[in-house]
Amino acid sequence: MALLDIENLAVSYGPVAALRGVTLAVEEGRITTILGANGAGKSTLLRAALGAVAPRAGTIRFAGADVTRLPVHKRVAAGLSLVPEGRRILITMTIEENLLLGAHLRPDQGAVRAEMAAIYDRFPNLASRRHMAAACLSGGEQQMLAIGRAMLARPRLLMLDEPSLGLSPLFVERLFGLIAELNRGGLSMLLVEQNTGLALGVAHHAVVLELGRVVMQGDPAVLARDPRLQEAYLGESAEPAPQPIPAA
Amino acid sequence: MIAQQLVNGVMLGAIYMLVAVAFTLAIGILNFLNFSIPGLFMVGGMVTWALLAQGWHWSIAVGAALLAAAFVALLVERLSYRPSRDADPEVPLASALGFLILLENLFVIRYGSDQLSFPALLPDFNWRLGGLVIGGAQLVSLAVAVALVLWLSVLLRRTNTGRRIRAVAESRETAVILGVDVGRLVPQVFVSSAVFTAAGGVLFALNYLQVSATMGEGVGFKGVAAMIIGGMGSIWGAILGGLLIGLAEVLTIGFLGADLVDIAVYGLLLALLILRPEGLLGRPAAREKL
Repeated sequence: MALLDIENLAVSYGPVAALRGVTLAVEEGRITTILGANGAGKSTLLRAALGAVAPRAGTIRFAGADVTRLPVHKRVAAGLSLVPEGRRILITMTIEENLLLGAHLRPDQGAVRAEMAAIYDRFPNLASRRHMAAACLSGGEQQMLAIGRAMLARPRLLMLDEPSLGLSPLFVERLFGLIAELNRGGLSMLLVEQNTGLALGVAHHAVVLELGRVVMQGDPAVLARDPRLQEAYLGESAEPAPQPIPAA
Repeated sequence: MIAQQLVNGVMLGAIYMLVAVAFTLAIGILNFLNFSIPGLFMVGGMVTWALLAQGWHWSIAVGAALLAAAFVALLVERLSYRPSRDADPEVPLASALGFLILLENLFVIRYGSDQLSFPALLPDFNWRLGGLVIGGAQLVSLAVAVALVLWLSVLLRRTNTGRRIRAVAESRETAVILGVDVGRLVPQVFVSSAVFTAAGGVLFALNYLQVSATMGEGVGFKGVAAMIIGGMGSIWGAILGGLLIGLAEVLTIGFLGADLVDIAVYGLLLALLILRPEGLLGRPAAREKL
C-alpha cells in the first residue's frame, strides 16, 4: 500500500476549479515529483494533502488511514510535513525558535535537542546565528532552515513546494544534494519543483499535472525523453535532462 | 515629594499595564481591537465586590471573578470575534463595543450606577522607606502585575505554547501549516487576556476601595492609549506605556491639579504619536509582534 494515496481529489477556490479529480500514489521511501505549468494545481495538491485547503470531493489516505477530514495539526502529528513555497520562515522569531516550532507537536521533546544539534552541525550558518532573528538569513539559508524545521516534525512524508525558487545555483546544488541524501536515509518525499530537469533527476516517480488533472505519469527517465514534456517544461529540449544529482 | 509621586505613579501604572497587555494580546495575536476588555475589567472588580458582599472568602471571590471574566471572554470570542473573523476588521470591533455596553448595562440594572464601596481586604499597612510611604494594596498590585507580566513573557519566550502564539501573531497561515491548532489557541488567548484585565479590575478595587458598573471605561481607554504609546502589538511596549501613563497621571494630579489629568494623559498620547507614530517600541517597517 502506498504511503499517501490520493483518489479523485477535487478542490475549488470559489468558482475556480484548481484540482479536477486527481488520483495519485506516493510510495514509501521514494521521491515523487509533481510537474506542471503555473496554475496546474501543484501547490493546491500539497496544501490539500496537508489539510490546509478542504477538498470538494475525493479521499486522501495517509499511512493506511483516511485523513480527508483531519485538521492540519493532526496530519502533521501523523507525519505529514510541508516546506511551503516561499519558505515561510517566521522572521520575528529566532532561528532556534523556528526550529523548535517544527517540533512543537512531538511527544518526545527530549529527543528534539539532539536532532537540533545535528541540524546545526549540518548547517553551521544556522548554528552561529541561532539566537538571531531569522530575518538575517539569506534566501538559501532560509530554505535550509525551512527544511530543518520540517524535519524536526519527524515526518514520514516530506512535501516540498518549489524549494529551489529564488536560490543561487550554489544553493540549488546543495538543496538537491540534501534532498537526495535525506531520501537515501529512508525519507519519502513529494516534490513540486519548477526546475524540471533537476526534479526528474532526483525523483523515482513523476506526475505531470495540467489544469488540475494528471496528464502523464511514470518513470522520470522515460518522461524526460517524452517530446510533449520536453516541449512544455524543458524548454526546446536543448537542456540535457535529467541532470546528474550533485554530490551531497 | 516627587519620589512619592513616582512611587504612586508606578503603582497606578501597574494596573494600566495589565489592561494594556490585555489589549495587546488581542491585537497582536488576533488583530482584534477587543473593546469588551474594559467590561472584563469591570467584571473583575464588580463580581469580587458582589461575592464579598455575600460573605464569601476573598480568595473565592477573586477566583470566581477571574473565572467570570474568562467566561465572558469566551462568549465574546464565540459570538463576536469568530463569526466576523473574515469580515472587515470594523465588524468585530463594533460588536465587541456592543458587548461592553451590554455588560455595563446588565450590571447597572442589577447593582445601579453609583460608586459602591469595596471593603478593605488588606490591613491598613504602610511600608515606610526613607521618606516614602508605600501602601499594602499598592505593594500587592505591583507584585501581582509584575508576576503576571513575567509569567506571560516566560510563556511567550520559552514554551511551545508561547512559540505557537507568536507564530500565529506573525502569520496565521504559516502557523496553520506548521500544525498549530488555531481553533484551540484563540480561545486560550481570549482567556489570558481576560485574566489580565480582570486582575487589573480587582487590583483597582483593592487600591481605590470603590467599584462601579462603569469603572472599566476610564481605565480601559487609558489602557488603549498605553498600548498605542508603547507600540501596537508589543508586550514590552504595553508595559512601558502603562507605566508612563500612570506616572503622567499621578504627576499631573500632584503638580497641575486633578482637572487636567485627561488633558495631560491624552496630550502625551497625541504628542508621542506626532513624534513617533509607531509608538515607543513599535517598529515602522517589519513591526515586531509580542
